[in-house]
Amino acid sequence: MSSSRIEILNDGGLRHDARRPYELRSTSFQLNTHPTAEGSSTVTQGLTTVQVSIFGPREPRQRSQASHDKAIISVEVGVVPWAQGGGGVKRVRGDKRLQEIGASIRQTFEPVIMTHLYPRSEITINVQVLSADGGILPTSINATTLALISSGISILDYTTSISIGLYLKQPLLDLSHVEEQDLPNLVIASLPNSGKITLAQMETRLHVDRFEEMLSLGVEACQVLKTEMEDVVKSQTEKIVERMGVRSVVSSGMAVDE
Amino acid sequence: MVREIDPPSIQKDFLLAALAEGKRLDGRIPLQQRKIEFIFGEELGNVECRLGKTAVLAQVSASIVKPREDRPYEGFLMINSEIGPMASSVYENGRSSDSEVLITRLLEKSIRRTEAIDREALCILAGEKVWQLRLTLHFLSDSGNLLDCASMASMIALKHFRKPDVEVIGDEVIIHSPEERAPVPLAIHHTPLCLTFAYFENLPPILDPTHLEATLCEGTLTVTMNAQREICVLSKAGGTPLAAEDIMGVVRVGVDRVREMVKIMDDALEKDRENRVVEVR
Amino acid sequence: MFSVKTVALSSTQSFSDDIPATHRKHQAELDAMDLDEDEFGAGPSKRNIVTPGEVITSSKEYMRGHGTYVEEVNVVSSVTGTIERVNKLISVKPVRSKYVPEVGDLVIGRIVEVGPQRWRVDANGRQDAVLMLSSVNLPGGVQRRKIESDALKMREFLAEGDLLVAEVQAFFGDGAMSLHTRSLKYGKLRNGQLLSVPPQLIRRLKSHFHHIPPPCGPTGVDVILGLNGYVWVSNGTSQEKREGGEGFDSEGVYSDKNDDIPPEGRQAISTITNLIKLLAQEGIPLTDTLIEDSFNWVNQNQLPPGPLAPNETERMLAEVVGVDITA
Repeated sequence: MSSSRIEILNDGGLRHDARRPYELRSTSFQLNTHPTAEGSSTVTQGLTTVQVSIFGPREPRQRSQASHDKAIISVEVGVVPWAQGGGGVKRVRGDKRLQEIGASIRQTFEPVIMTHLYPRSEITINVQVLSADGGILPTSINATTLALISSGISILDYTTSISIGLYLKQPLLDLSHVEEQDLPNLVIASLPNSGKITLAQMETRLHVDRFEEMLSLGVEACQVLKTEMEDVVKSQTEKIVERMGVRSVVSSGMAVDE
Repeated sequence: MVREIDPPSIQKDFLLAALAEGKRLDGRIPLQQRKIEFIFGEELGNVECRLGKTAVLAQVSASIVKPREDRPYEGFLMINSEIGPMASSVYENGRSSDSEVLITRLLEKSIRRTEAIDREALCILAGEKVWQLRLTLHFLSDSGNLLDCASMASMIALKHFRKPDVEVIGDEVIIHSPEERAPVPLAIHHTPLCLTFAYFENLPPILDPTHLEATLCEGTLTVTMNAQREICVLSKAGGTPLAAEDIMGVVRVGVDRVREMVKIMDDALEKDRENRVVEVR
Repeated sequence: MFSVKTVALSSTQSFSDDIPATHRKHQAELDAMDLDEDEFGAGPSKRNIVTPGEVITSSKEYMRGHGTYVEEVNVVSSVTGTIERVNKLISVKPVRSKYVPEVGDLVIGRIVEVGPQRWRVDANGRQDAVLMLSSVNLPGGVQRRKIESDALKMREFLAEGDLLVAEVQAFFGDGAMSLHTRSLKYGKLRNGQLLSVPPQLIRRLKSHFHHIPPPCGPTGVDVILGLNGYVWVSNGTSQEKREGGEGFDSEGVYSDKNDDIPPEGRQAISTITNLIKLLAQEGIPLTDTLIEDSFNWVNQNQLPPGPLAPNETERMLAEVVGVDITA
């Protein structure tokens, strides 16, 4: 770990980007951002932007991989060259870190997607990181949830994710890249309705007693994110439903009532 | 990627029925590990660790290299951990599957990123010469839970290893052969060990899943801890969603278990030391 | 495409106060529903839109249908869409979804593989569809018997990449659809272009073959709206020629050659294609009358060929469809 010279928390209790410890970065959720995918979304949290497009359920590209009783899920993660930063190691497809992120996303969503409804098919989740400023995994998970919702694939619940750091004894939510470098960093993904955790990942040393507090804080933050997402999804859905009703009267002679 | 044949569903039903009664197919109770065994090789730093029928051989070697420009005081620790077809027919040479990547990444995180080895103590001459440790893992057989076994093998090999004593006079570095001077142990900060728990739907977690249990389970949780009650790495991806208390419960189990494991390791090392004649002149 | 930006959510130290008790909200909704049962499926009001994980009602009183699952005692939605109720059956109709085939559906597909006695067809479904050799009409008339040599010549009839229009005949045990083209209306497609739209925009209609008469091109334009979201726009032919009447070329059904299409005809095809794309982009369900009306609008306004300019698009949607996209 490299220690940068930023002040994680100043005397006024503000973080380096003037957030309070429990304040999330500004978010933007967009649905259907990919023209041909079955479902897609672009999620921005702070300066991290991730686009997810979902193809399928469709015929598996390798038919030998197909499962007779459920859909298989495959995840591809890519980081565009300009989001990789100047100094860092270039991440190409097949990089172990990216492969790990992909595996985490797949394992997070395998129990959430009702795969038994789509036997002998494949659901491909394409994650493209468009700009990276910390929290690639949580943002990718949030974007995947929205993309799944927009694709109409059956899922049990929203899955929202957040990173939690710890500075001295103060937990911080939604870490940026510089904070991620300096602090113990816990990423969790949870199902907001039950408050249960599907993914928990931590890479740095942390005392057991601190851990519990961070965990429950993360679960709360996931619920806040879910409320935000739900608002976007509902208002978007309303528009679509409205459009679907257009001119149904004019062509009523032809339309068969469903 | 070779796909393994799924176990028969009758076997799954049997295993689940037994688990519901708190029993496991090999007679263990849910939170019991398989028997841990260490076999020390001829050389220092060569240890085979066995966890039931899972076996991993760890070998540590050291060489002197030039440090990185930006970190002149730090030595290197390299971990080689490719899983070959020797462990199990599902692994292929040269191609890494998802599970293999997860194992190597977790090992890397638990040993390297948590600074288990004091890398500054590997410095001989700042900016000029540092020790490079190479930890090579050979996965001998996969009977489930390769990760825990590998982490134990790695840590005990590192503890077992002695690097040659060096003497610095001015700009000159003299490396003493083991015959001349007793080699010195590595400076180890703490002993992070992995513990893997497997989850089945609506059942309490089990520790140290066998291959069959790992294939049939809904998800696993791996926590790397040390004897100082610190969580070094936690990794739960997917599987049954858990409440925060469940995760804390597992962590608490881990605290005690890791202490025991460290003690087993230390005892084994102590015993080996008694049998081994290290000549000091 | 819509994009909704949310403002920064700033939670302070009193973090937990901000969190709405989702479960309490659901309980309130539930009570409201119990009072007024007819709320279900009464139209696109906000109440009827649910998102995954949202509790709809009690599973003790209602049965769960598509798009829902039961958790403990509740029927919970698993997709985003509108609640639909038929007596005691609650289902959620997703606003977007993959094409779900039904027997009798008209689909447009593309051959992906020629196999023993069968073709594999990509019909935009969950799995590839299957077209058996025994479910096609071969040149030489309806009554022709199939012989062994036909199986060897399958690629001469339909090769990989060929497009065809077919009907869903049945389902195999694994859920794959079986297609048939045993009607003169169905078969290989040529003289036009394919476009793909979200399948939910295509309603089940009495007929999916539409003919837009001249002045839309010298011979009009034919549009086939496949229920799987594939749409075929081609040079117009007369009713007789299409359905095996006078001038029907029974030998030419598997031809790979396009007819001579005059430039005006090609322009008409691309105009119709552009209009369909535009309507689909705005999420407006496609019908033959709508396509025809929008063409007439373009024709009346004597717009130049090519895609519509943004302001013309707005006007067209407002005047023909009655949708204000600027809102």
